[in-house]
Amino acid sequence: MKIIVPHIHKIEGEAGFWASVAKTGEIKDLKINVLEGLRQIEGILVGRRIQEVPIVVSRICGICPVVHILNACSTLERALEIKVFPQIILLRKLFLASQIIQSHTLHLFFLSLPDFFDIENDLDLMKKFKKETKAALKIRDFSLKITEVIGGRKVHPITPQIGGFHKLPEKKDLEKLLFDLPRVFESAQILAKTFQDLSYPDFQRETLFTSLFSNTRQNFSKENLGGQAEYPFYQANFIKIADKKLTAGDFYSNQIEEDLKIPPVKRVKYLGKPYMLGAIARVKNNWQFLNPLAKNLFESFKKKNHLTDEKFFGDIYHNLFSQMVEVLHFLEESEKLIKEILNLDPEEKPSVSYGARLKEEKKEFKIKKGSGLSAMEAPRGTLFTYFELDEEGRILNCNIITPTAQFLANLEEDLKVLLPEILKLPEEKRKRKIRSLIRVYDPCISCATH
Amino acid sequence: MKRKPFDFAQGKPKVAIFSLTSDEGCQFALLDLGAIFFNFLKKVELIDFPLIEEKPFPKQKGLKPEVKPFIDVAFIEGVPITTEDFKILKKIREESKILVALGNCAALGGIPEMKNYQGKGRTVRFIYKRLNRILNPEIKEIDNFVKVDFVIPGCPIDGEEFLKYTKELIQGKIPEICQSPVCNECPKRGTKNCFLARKKVCLGLVTLAGCNAICPRNEFPCLGCRGIFKGAKVKSFLKVLEKLAKKEEIEESLEIFGIKDDIKKLLK
Repeated sequence: MKIIVPHIHKIEGEAGFWASVAKTGEIKDLKINVLEGLRQIEGILVGRRIQEVPIVVSRICGICPVVHILNACSTLERALEIKVFPQIILLRKLFLASQIIQSHTLHLFFLSLPDFFDIENDLDLMKKFKKETKAALKIRDFSLKITEVIGGRKVHPITPQIGGFHKLPEKKDLEKLLFDLPRVFESAQILAKTFQDLSYPDFQRETLFTSLFSNTRQNFSKENLGGQAEYPFYQANFIKIADKKLTAGDFYSNQIEEDLKIPPVKRVKYLGKPYMLGAIARVKNNWQFLNPLAKNLFESFKKKNHLTDEKFFGDIYHNLFSQMVEVLHFLEESEKLIKEILNLDPEEKPSVSYGARLKEEKKEFKIKKGSGLSAMEAPRGTLFTYFELDEEGRILNCNIITPTAQFLANLEEDLKVLLPEILKLPEEKRKRKIRSLIRVYDPCISCATH
Repeated sequence: MKRKPFDFAQGKPKVAIFSLTSDEGCQFALLDLGAIFFNFLKKVELIDFPLIEEKPFPKQKGLKPEVKPFIDVAFIEGVPITTEDFKILKKIREESKILVALGNCAALGGIPEMKNYQGKGRTVRFIYKRLNRILNPEIKEIDNFVKVDFVIPGCPIDGEEFLKYTKELIQGKIPEICQSPVCNECPKRGTKNCFLARKKVCLGLVTLAGCNAICPRNEFPCLGCRGIFKGAKVKSFLKVLEKLAKKEEIEESLEIFGIKDDIKKLLK
């Protein structure tokens, strides 16, 4: 028997599902077919000037351009040995946090939630969940506002460049964000309630979880923050997989392998094994460092549902709840970051200082030959970007390993567990279950292909 | 000369938004409008928009639509690369009264078109060294394959601008875009912040306005993502640029958003 879902809608990009099952119920073959064409972004970058890199990598993905730009800039800064100013790092963290909130909220509410109520069209969802729709849009609008304030535009930001930004945001725009925050937190609580009360399918399969590994905050703020560890998302030198800690370089060069046999996606495995990344993996590896509201949400959910850690993380559907935890975490993080950028005490209320600008710090740098690797947390998991440059500042070699390319193999393993359980269901219902599990992963096919 | 409005059936206009190979950035530019966009959707009958609904196109499979073409206004983003892309593009044209190219990729080839300038076959070898069965067509704008009635420009499109033009499109009218350069909108015009005055390559003088000079406003030169406006003095503009920058840099700047081939055509 063949089970085919030709097009999976409500994911970023185009993909389909295909499986062949024997009469005995044994799965003979199962795969996610990527239907997106290969745009050859890495090949396009070879030979180009480094100044063009942020523009080009941004267009890998319409939903997470920020992380592609930031990771590329960070890679090039390593290659050119540029030390970035602390203020720039804070702004970049805020920028990245805003993208994660935005992407998660879209996925949680508009792409995955309808599956729990057998709703096929978001417009119907919005009729059924009026209050929640408002809340989801409020959170998204807020996070997009941050992206716009820092990047100059919501999709494909303009300002980020190697070493910093072409233009820094105005103080008053950052202050306005703080005024908005209380209402955004209210909205986040409404959405959190929805995802707390959801009945997640009981599904268990062990896998390996990969994410950046928490290290202390960047050196510059060690004194004033007492070197406290943070929930890692913007650059970290270590990767955590299962319980192992590896350097990003070791993980990238020695432990994972790209499969070049099934274009257009170079699928990745760790020592031959599939692994999971993204929200659930980050929460698994670094939950101790979650901000208070987020940590509380995570713990009370486990308590209410009598879930051990093992049970919680064994169920891939909890990737959704983990995204919800992260929405809250990154909202809290955004508040901290904005206050830090504005030099306010954590408890201080903002006041509007019209016209004032952040102090510009210009970074001059010399073009030279070199190479660099950087790892950063994209909404869907760890993104690896590698560049080699020649002495004229042109790209010699480039490799971009996206989260979706890394977790497709893990998704297929989960589908292999799901499929035997749903073989007896009527066709439409079965397809619905398949689509719903695929969407729990929040795959980004444009990223995977690029 | 005003064109005769298209003949739409009674009831809500039927609108569809499709994506060929792309980053879907233009679809997100719409979604990111938030409530405003969802309010717009209430005014139309949404035939297809894969990001927010389940049913694949064509939906009326087996049911013969009473009126053909079935869709009033179809928006297409991206460029055709896969066999399916080419097929669906033709199918959409057959099914639509008005076909709109949505954004820079569909209209001008976009970032993917950069590979055309590197020599076919070379680019793909940096990714797949040995495989030969990779779909690798030369990147061409969709109007090479189907008739395009209107273009919503930009990389990405501006959501507000989309709504402005779509108001007319869903009444069966093709909007007129005012043909003027980005420099007309650029707040830095004539001051020392003008990129050209600073001897830096900026394509604002020949690029179609309507973006409120969003890039120059953010201290980034215009790279022409909205395409060349009708009546732009391309030849003399290139002469100006040649005084500011090396030929190589000018050529490369024209390649980024797919306008190099259009400029070549205009110079002929």
